[in-house]
Amino acid sequence: MFITFALITLLGALGMLLQKNVVVAGLCMVAAFFGVAGLFVLLANPVAAALQIIVYTGAIMVLVLFVIMMLNSHEEEAGAARPVQRWLSLALIAVLAFAAVKLVLASAGLNALAVKGAEMPQAMTLQKVGTTLFADHLLGFEVAGLVLLAAMIGAVALTKRNL
Amino acid sequence: MVSLNAVLLISFLLFSIGIAGVLIRRNALIILMCVELMLNAANLNFIAFARHNGSVAGQAFALLVMGFAAAEVAVGLALVVALYRRRDTVQVDDINLLKG
Repeated sequence: MFITFALITLLGALGMLLQKNVVVAGLCMVAAFFGVAGLFVLLANPVAAALQIIVYTGAIMVLVLFVIMMLNSHEEEAGAARPVQRWLSLALIAVLAFAAVKLVLASAGLNALAVKGAEMPQAMTLQKVGTTLFADHLLGFEVAGLVLLAAMIGAVALTKRNL
Repeated sequence: MVSLNAVLLISFLLFSIGIAGVLIRRNALIILMCVELMLNAANLNFIAFARHNGSVAGQAFALLVMGFAAAEVAVGLALVVALYRRRDTVQVDDINLLKG
């Protein structure tokens, strides 16, 4: 089950990376988001999975696809591949991989966490999330609300025709 | 039970694909989607650690990250639409007015 969802996620992401057609790339992205939602379910977190579907595939991807259709710019990306950027990204990924593997192998705490996690069968509930959010992280919650308001006003102001 | 290291590996691969997309692709919309992918990878890590650590804080932060991702994509798409109106393109290579 884990392998299935991981494959859906990675193939969707790779499809988005390699696909020239923007609409198809957007649909690949939806597949990747669904895969991540499945991984959230496997991590005993149905709350995050539901939010992932609602926020990412329900709101963000619909917005992106709407803009793709509205701009009608499905043209192929012109010119040859960007060799410098390609090598730069590969080098960056190699450095990150080296650091990540080294960190994971060196960390005793991580292995302890993995053992500890195996002993916790209970799933995350919405009640627990809400209690934590409003009791311990109220400031973050308020800041997120403020940022969303600013983003909403900014988006409306930016797309206004006679700015 | 999903092992923590496997989830971390998946999340790392997602983040790598996001980085490669941001650097390689030229379409501003695809670049925005790749940034979303990287945020998603971070969310996956938050959820995995919340699960294995038994704390709810990771889940709360993942929720906040989702909110910020929504705000980011709204402003980003508004910029792309404004750019398309003015320059009639969404290819970042064509937008080089500030290039030295």
